[in-house]
Amino acid sequence: MKKINILIVMIGIMFSSCDDFLSIVPETALSTATFFKQEADFQQAVNAAYAPQRNIVNDRAWLLSEMRSDNTIYARNILFGATEQQEDLSDHALPEADGITSNVHVLNQYRLDYLIISRTNQILDQIDNVQFDEQSKNNIKGQALFLRAYSYYELVRYFQSVPLHLTPVQTRSEAALPLAPENEIYARIIEDAQQAITLLPNRSQQELGRVTSGSARMLLADVYITQKKWIEAETLLAEIVNSNQYQLIANYADVFSESVSNKNNLESLYEIQFLEGAAGMAGNFLYNFMPRPITPQELQPITGTSNPEPLDGQGNNIPTPDIIAAYEDGDLRKDASIAYVELSQSFRVDKSYPYIKKYAKEHSLHGNHGMNWPVYRYAETLLFLAEALNEQGKTGEAAAYLNQVRTRAGLPNTTASSQGDMREAIFKERRVELAFENKRWFDITRTDRVQEIIGQFGARALANPQEYYYPAGATFRPNAFTNITKYYALPAAESEITPHF
Amino acid sequence: MKKEFYSELMRRLMAITIALLLGSFASYAQTTSIQGVVKAEEDGQPIPGVTVLVKGTQRGTVTNLDGEFSIQASPGETLVISFIGYAMQEVNLQEGQNNLDISLSSSMSDLSEVVVVGYGSQLKREITGSVQSVSGTDLMDIPTPQLTQKLQGRLAGVQINQTTGRPGQGMNVRIRGQVSVSAGSDPLYVVDGFPITGDISVLNPDEIEDITVLKDAASTSLYGSRAANGVVLITTKKGKAGETNVSFNMYTGFQKVPMQGRLEMMDAVEFAQFKKEYFEDAGMPVPAMFQNPSQYEGQTQDWYDALLQTAPISNYNLTITSNTAKSRTSIVAGLFDQNGVVLNTDYKRFSIRLNTDYDISDKVRVGFNVAPSYVFDNTPRTDGERGQGILFNALHTWPNMPIYDEAGELTLFNRFPAETGNIFAYPNWVRSAQEIINETKQTNILTNGFVEYSPIEGLVFKSTLNAEIRSSNYLFFNPSTATRFINRPIPTVAESIRDNIEDFSWLNENLVTYTKSFSDHNFELLGGYTNQHFRRSRTRIQADTYSDDRLPTIQGAININRGGSFSDVQEWALTSLLSRLNYNYQGKYLLTASVRADGSSRFGSENRWGVFPSISAGWVLSDEGFLNTNEQISFTKIRASYGVTGNNNIGNYTQYALINNTINHVFDNEVVPGAAVTSLSNSFLGWETTRQFDIGLDLGLFDDRIQFVYDFYTKNTTNLLYNVQIPQESGFGSFNDNIGEIKFWGHEFSINTRNTTGALKWTTNANISFNRNRVLALAEGIDRVYGRFHITQVGQPFGMFYGLNKLGNYMNEEDLANSPQVPGRSTVGSIKLEDINGDGIITIGGDNDDRTIIGNPFPDFTYGIVNNFQYKKWDMSIVGSGSYGNELIMRHLYSTANLDGVFNMVRRAKDRFRSPENPGDGFFGTTVGGGNVTGIERDWMNSNFVADASFFSIKNVTLGYNAGALTKFIKSARFYASIQNLYVFTNYWGGSNPETSVQPDGQGDGGNLSQGVDLPSYPIPRTITFGVNVNF
Repeated sequence: MKKINILIVMIGIMFSSCDDFLSIVPETALSTATFFKQEADFQQAVNAAYAPQRNIVNDRAWLLSEMRSDNTIYARNILFGATEQQEDLSDHALPEADGITSNVHVLNQYRLDYLIISRTNQILDQIDNVQFDEQSKNNIKGQALFLRAYSYYELVRYFQSVPLHLTPVQTRSEAALPLAPENEIYARIIEDAQQAITLLPNRSQQELGRVTSGSARMLLADVYITQKKWIEAETLLAEIVNSNQYQLIANYADVFSESVSNKNNLESLYEIQFLEGAAGMAGNFLYNFMPRPITPQELQPITGTSNPEPLDGQGNNIPTPDIIAAYEDGDLRKDASIAYVELSQSFRVDKSYPYIKKYAKEHSLHGNHGMNWPVYRYAETLLFLAEALNEQGKTGEAAAYLNQVRTRAGLPNTTASSQGDMREAIFKERRVELAFENKRWFDITRTDRVQEIIGQFGARALANPQEYYYPAGATFRPNAFTNITKYYALPAAESEITPHF
Repeated sequence: MKKEFYSELMRRLMAITIALLLGSFASYAQTTSIQGVVKAEEDGQPIPGVTVLVKGTQRGTVTNLDGEFSIQASPGETLVISFIGYAMQEVNLQEGQNNLDISLSSSMSDLSEVVVVGYGSQLKREITGSVQSVSGTDLMDIPTPQLTQKLQGRLAGVQINQTTGRPGQGMNVRIRGQVSVSAGSDPLYVVDGFPITGDISVLNPDEIEDITVLKDAASTSLYGSRAANGVVLITTKKGKAGETNVSFNMYTGFQKVPMQGRLEMMDAVEFAQFKKEYFEDAGMPVPAMFQNPSQYEGQTQDWYDALLQTAPISNYNLTITSNTAKSRTSIVAGLFDQNGVVLNTDYKRFSIRLNTDYDISDKVRVGFNVAPSYVFDNTPRTDGERGQGILFNALHTWPNMPIYDEAGELTLFNRFPAETGNIFAYPNWVRSAQEIINETKQTNILTNGFVEYSPIEGLVFKSTLNAEIRSSNYLFFNPSTATRFINRPIPTVAESIRDNIEDFSWLNENLVTYTKSFSDHNFELLGGYTNQHFRRSRTRIQADTYSDDRLPTIQGAININRGGSFSDVQEWALTSLLSRLNYNYQGKYLLTASVRADGSSRFGSENRWGVFPSISAGWVLSDEGFLNTNEQISFTKIRASYGVTGNNNIGNYTQYALINNTINHVFDNEVVPGAAVTSLSNSFLGWETTRQFDIGLDLGLFDDRIQFVYDFYTKNTTNLLYNVQIPQESGFGSFNDNIGEIKFWGHEFSINTRNTTGALKWTTNANISFNRNRVLALAEGIDRVYGRFHITQVGQPFGMFYGLNKLGNYMNEEDLANSPQVPGRSTVGSIKLEDINGDGIITIGGDNDDRTIIGNPFPDFTYGIVNNFQYKKWDMSIVGSGSYGNELIMRHLYSTANLDGVFNMVRRAKDRFRSPENPGDGFFGTTVGGGNVTGIERDWMNSNFVADASFFSIKNVTLGYNAGALTKFIKSARFYASIQNLYVFTNYWGGSNPETSVQPDGQGDGGNLSQGVDLPSYPIPRTITFGVNVNF
């Protein structure tokens, strides 16, 4: 009997704290149970919300916008066997069915934008539950709202209609939402951007590199211009001009950041930040934009690195003869934007290829540079303002702003005097001033000139493939320029798992 | 809090141990010392090694060399005397009977054998589940370092594939075809009662006494949430008959890669000819290098062969066992040393095991086992995708690229001018093999201690404490002079990786058994309470850019790679209650019922405990008088079982929503810390559940000269752990959930026969298994899950090959015009694919997908056959195993048959399509049109890649000579010669190993969702060894 008692006592002891024994939380990772509790958590969260923008501008945005336009093209290396999905984008030959495409770059752009949206939703959902300094809180909220608005602005311009997530997803069933109509998405972008303007500090009070009230005004003005709300746009743009926080940099080539210096300069309203080195914040878009195959000897003078490596494969984002011809004689921006390199291994007779010069800044190591990517700069503010004024019939006022930009480029004042001529002059000015800054495609789409401009561009290219970097005898694929559309089809990988499209 | 917990735990363990020890002094039953001798009935010779057990207790001993034994027992107790090859005998002790003379009659049957089962042992004839055991001595001659290699071909219902020849790696063991979406499918290995958390490959197989494989749920369910993949119980050598027994076993020999089955690549002449034709067919000028292919006659550089060598292999083992009246001890010391057949492979294992137990009193027994081992492994990164494994790279390096330069030095790298179409630089792979360090040093200590206390007859308390300690140090150093990547110029950036892992796992088990018989009713009751805890801490540091290749230190690197450097802790805990009842009536009607409850730290807080019951029954028909009329039938038993088991290999923290706090960003050149929620939580997450029903028949014919076992099973696995893909508009890629249902069923037959019993003794042991599975459900709204080239789809077997179906090549313009095409890409001579959805065009992926199931990795059946012959002093054994109907994806063809001439090619590409008049053998299409055309054939998974991989492999042939007692000191000696992997009969042409399955990174077999992919992997050598076993 005594033994049985001992046994009972023993078992009793053993069971009393089973739950402690079985509760093991991860020791080397934080979980939601411990996060979003203090100011620093939100600060880190908003930092992480910026991070996907680096991937977007380094790897995707130029594929979906600049190389989709008539400014740059995919330069085929016929010895390289593989067919790349970039070529489908450049050639307007995207496989598409029922509004769905399998193109991986379209998919990744979509996913990266939603990654930012999800991270900002987490912040906006939680931040008011925690007490901390109001000014700091407003700043974080403003940044989150800007980033969310900017991401939706990208999405709505690429896809027209996408799901509208405004609160964080907690369970499996909340993951998929129906496609929201375009106007609903725009309404939300405008609301977010308006709030961001009031919450964010201006440039002089904000940590350099983060978005400011000026960035938010510019975003909202951009949205209004796309929506042809000229009066609202003019107001915002004039506020930026009158804030006296921004100015044109005297020398066009100096507008763009070096690998370590000249970042977030006075012309910059917002640029995406990179850092050269091993911290994992470096870009390599310059390498993405190189014609190929290129030897280390040919590459080194461009990059200035100590360890140049050869680049194989095929060239992306190569300036077209069209953009080269678009510069007026004497335009200082031409040589600052485009340069040439001889590719000894090219199969072309003419082994000289143009490449984008404006980002070609020296850095230390191969494939690792710190140049920032311009999103909004003051020259565009002036051009937007000129456009907003001209569209309201204030053509004379518009000319003044346009001429500020032309003067810096070493060009005489515009000769356009009618509203129509001025419209075309601004359109052309934007093309060369903002070349390779991922603006051209959206200029074409918002003015509804896709079929006209890309159609003609395609005809020229198909008629003369050698001008577009094909070796003698080689030409575009038969399906090139057969699928010219204003919007992208939605990504197939997402379509497979959402019930809504 | 953690600290408190440990001290609390230790306090409790102490309490239990003290309680048991105290209890042991309160003995009251009177026992006396019983002496006895056991002899063989037929010749009166004493039999050593006979097991003598007091029925219903843990008290037992074995006879010495003179057949004598001594044991503590009291009148009324029953002694069970058993030995392999003899009929079991029971002796009911009478008052005053303390000198026994026992004679055992020989029996063909092994039914009297005692088989180790979960948490105990049972007479084979009384087992009601599906178990199979193999004796360690049967495996001794097989010259392989891993236990699982030795088991190939021997077990019904267990498919054992060697997916790669990398020493110490690559064994894929699947019991009853178990698969899972994302939880592991490896069986649970239990060594001397301890479910180990480490790798079974480090165990020296010579330490093993026997192995029992538990297959059905009734046998495994006592292992609860870890039992669904089946359980392998390993018992190590214990003290044996005779005062002291010393034996020495060794073998030594060499390994070589046979020519048979190597992937046939073009030689230099053929390759030059191909390139010549390529340029001609494309209407391009032929580069000078290829204008005269015959200039390369006899000049072929075989890069693959250059990586291979004939390599030595040796194994040494010293075993000492001793057995006194009060203690039993065994020591096994081993050294295994293998240089692999790929250059710079070195694999060594040193191991020692000490097993000992003492009778402190006639009621208390204690035991300790300790088994340290050390494994050194340096093996180049041979396996996997192009760029991951050097074998793939070497296979398709241009055969006219020189391995050695004119001075006889290894070349650094080779690159021909761009106009030859050589777009990649090829480093010298021999340098890669020789100069890159890829070594792992592992120290393992496996140890157990137990106290056993039997206060009254039939009642036994047992408390054990087990620990497993493992330390693994990995060093990878890639000097600047070598690389494993194609197209990386030399010198490259030197890189190092250090990965140090420390594991500690402990298990405390407290068991009580009570055995009671009255009249013809026999009961055995088991109850237990166990706790196990595991902790792994890991530190990985990746560094690059070295100024000096001679110093691969961390401080020698200029750059620490933050992305590749981290520290991590993984931890889990398991608390369990278990109980079992064995009941039989007259040993004729058998019943077992058991239940285990597992609480696991891995399960969500809302779903912490799982209960795993089972029941089984057997009926020994041949003991029924009314059936025992047929003289030929010596034994018949039918049995049935049903049970529930779990699979808890779902990750340690899968239930939690984790924050990644390394998503940093930068503002104006200053890095700022960033953090984001990167997964969703699921507090309901649980184990995978498998419900299994088994029915079996054991039949013995002609005095058990023929023994036949049949099992049919059917099982359903539900609640599969799956990281369900969710739309990434949510910001998340997936959600961990328990979903779906898979049904498995199968038949297993095994037969043991003694074909001849005269001077030539010939026995055959054969088995064949048919395993099937079908996916019954996945998650709501999901009817398919994709793997690499695979689909898991409702209504189909798991992980089927998925791609486009090749119909042929477009033979001419007319054929092209009249067939569905890939718009803008198909041409005459290019691959013609089936338009599954009938929309007139060929599409891969998306809504108009033309993909379909194009192959099946599962065999129709697997089989094994072992023949043993004995003639006077000679013995011979032949082990074969095979598989029929399984298919493989020859994945490497995308690169080894790249029709753009970028790499060297498989020889078969000579017969490609060249023109409508010269269409070749139809397998490979035209080279004209470049990647836009050829890319379809290569980049779009299609049925061209799939090949039948049925095989029958003669795993081992051993010939031995038993020299008997050689001198006064050598009691017996046996000499033998053995050939491992003698020959593989197969039509598979995609590589040398039809058992293969390789992941792109060459680390692992691809998992269930993506199995059966052939990428070049470490070749499995033919091994020829000579060995000797000596007993002193």
